[in-house]
Amino acid sequence: MRNIIENLPLKAVFLGLVVLSGFYSCQHGEEGYHGVTDRIKAESKNYHGTSISSEKYIGHLKTLEITENGITFLIPERKGEIKSYSCTECHTKPLKKMQSEDIKKAHWNIKLNHADDNTMSCVTCHNGNDIDNLNSITGNSIDFDKSYQLCRQCHQKEFKDWTGGAHGKQISSWAPPRASKTCVNCHNPHSPHFESKWPERYNTQKVKERK
Amino acid sequence: MSNKEKKWFSLNLKNEKKSGGCGCGKTTGSCDSNTKELKRKDGVDQVFDLKMDRRSAFKKLTASLLIGAGAVSTSCSVFSDEKSKEKAQIDWEEQFKGNYKLMTDEEKSATVDRLVRSYQLRTGKTINMSSKNAEKDVLFGYAFNISKCQGYMDCVNACVEENNQDRKSQMQYIRIHEMKDGKGFNFNDADDNYYHEVPAEGHFYMGTQCFHCDNPPCVEVCPVQATWREEDGLVVVDYDWCVGCRYCMAACPYDGRRFNWSKPEIPENEINKNQHYLGNRLRKKGVMEKCTFCVQRSRNGKNPACVEACPTGSRIFGNLLDPNSTIRWVLENKKVFRLKEDLGTEPKFWYFMD
Repeated sequence: MRNIIENLPLKAVFLGLVVLSGFYSCQHGEEGYHGVTDRIKAESKNYHGTSISSEKYIGHLKTLEITENGITFLIPERKGEIKSYSCTECHTKPLKKMQSEDIKKAHWNIKLNHADDNTMSCVTCHNGNDIDNLNSITGNSIDFDKSYQLCRQCHQKEFKDWTGGAHGKQISSWAPPRASKTCVNCHNPHSPHFESKWPERYNTQKVKERK
Repeated sequence: MSNKEKKWFSLNLKNEKKSGGCGCGKTTGSCDSNTKELKRKDGVDQVFDLKMDRRSAFKKLTASLLIGAGAVSTSCSVFSDEKSKEKAQIDWEEQFKGNYKLMTDEEKSATVDRLVRSYQLRTGKTINMSSKNAEKDVLFGYAFNISKCQGYMDCVNACVEENNQDRKSQMQYIRIHEMKDGKGFNFNDADDNYYHEVPAEGHFYMGTQCFHCDNPPCVEVCPVQATWREEDGLVVVDYDWCVGCRYCMAACPYDGRRFNWSKPEIPENEINKNQHYLGNRLRKKGVMEKCTFCVQRSRNGKNPACVEACPTGSRIFGNLLDPNSTIRWVLENKKVFRLKEDLGTEPKFWYFMD
């Protein structure tokens, strides 16, 4: 019994040392972090931004700010990019009248290759009575600049990834303020699939490289 | 640049004519009253005062003598003009410059200025070279979406053009591996030289390049410290300090490093003149190079060329320390992994799937 009591402080000191060394050993590596994840966590705690900005590269773009899923970023405005916008500049009369008077095939170059016939047709997105705006499934009007609101109706997972930045592309710069391409900047809404094609070039043949 | 900080020996050929009657260059006072400058260790003393074995001493001596002989012959020649004298001066100072890693900001911009001038003297064309340092509060990271990549190879095209890579040997920093679905990430069975329309049925594509490890084994093995990790996480190479031993190439577990087996050849009109000392400036035969996350672009806030070129959005780049960056969102919200994580190299290059 006496023996144990005498040894107690010694053991406590020893235990303390072990615990302490445990703390320190977790902070090894180049600058005292266990891994890059720890480094990111620690060093971004006091992040106050940098002097680098994306404005130099996106300044010439016409953009609009949107907030979705609690994330705010810029997207390029769309209406200025559509050559024949606004639609009412040609379609001066209501569509129904045009169909009955003079049957001319319009928009003949557009072939819908988006989902199947049962799921989608022109009127899933376009409204004959309000052709300058898009049309949600429930019949609400959606601005052409915010066409992503149309896509998100079905593509919810892609939409979530897009708001975070995992789907789509940030424009020109990694720095804030963030400007990201919107859906229709990469996908043709009438035929959104990416076609298969020949690669732009071929990989290095490693054997050749060493000759 | 202040003379006190100079780490190389100057011939001062350009100032020759301005000097007075005596050899020391002073017009007044006696030549014995030496300036402090002579006592200071300059490039030559730094090299020759060191204890070294005979072999390396001979090597250095021979190299320096060759350069020196060239410089002296040009400077003494009656026929050589101002330009070739300047060229000799630049060659001399470049020969004795230090390791970029150890240079002060003034020395960095001085060597960059010399390289720009040297290129101008040789080709008559002007390039723009930067020595921009790492920005505070920036740590670069990269994410690659293996469900999005279609193997189009636009990234490789952009990379070759941006980084002035040798066109003849077709050296490329990026490799795109075509892998069979259901076989895992098996690099031995992957097709790196596919020759067909992409994407191929039943395959996925995975890109590799330098992963800019946070604990880079290539840096560890370099015998001359010609490669190191910068503050913003980029692993870079001083092409002028590299001796071409290729230890780093052997040490890299990701096949991220490339070697110039021959003199890189790029058509003059295709040279990207927007350069960085640690990035895409023109290399020579026998040195290592690799992806730098396009340091000449990224340090100015631009995305690397591969990220910009990708038509599928598979490539995401950004500041890991910025909690609002897209790369951070990917790391925090997607199922990410890195290659050979068990090695402890801590690559800053993550893969993820949709």
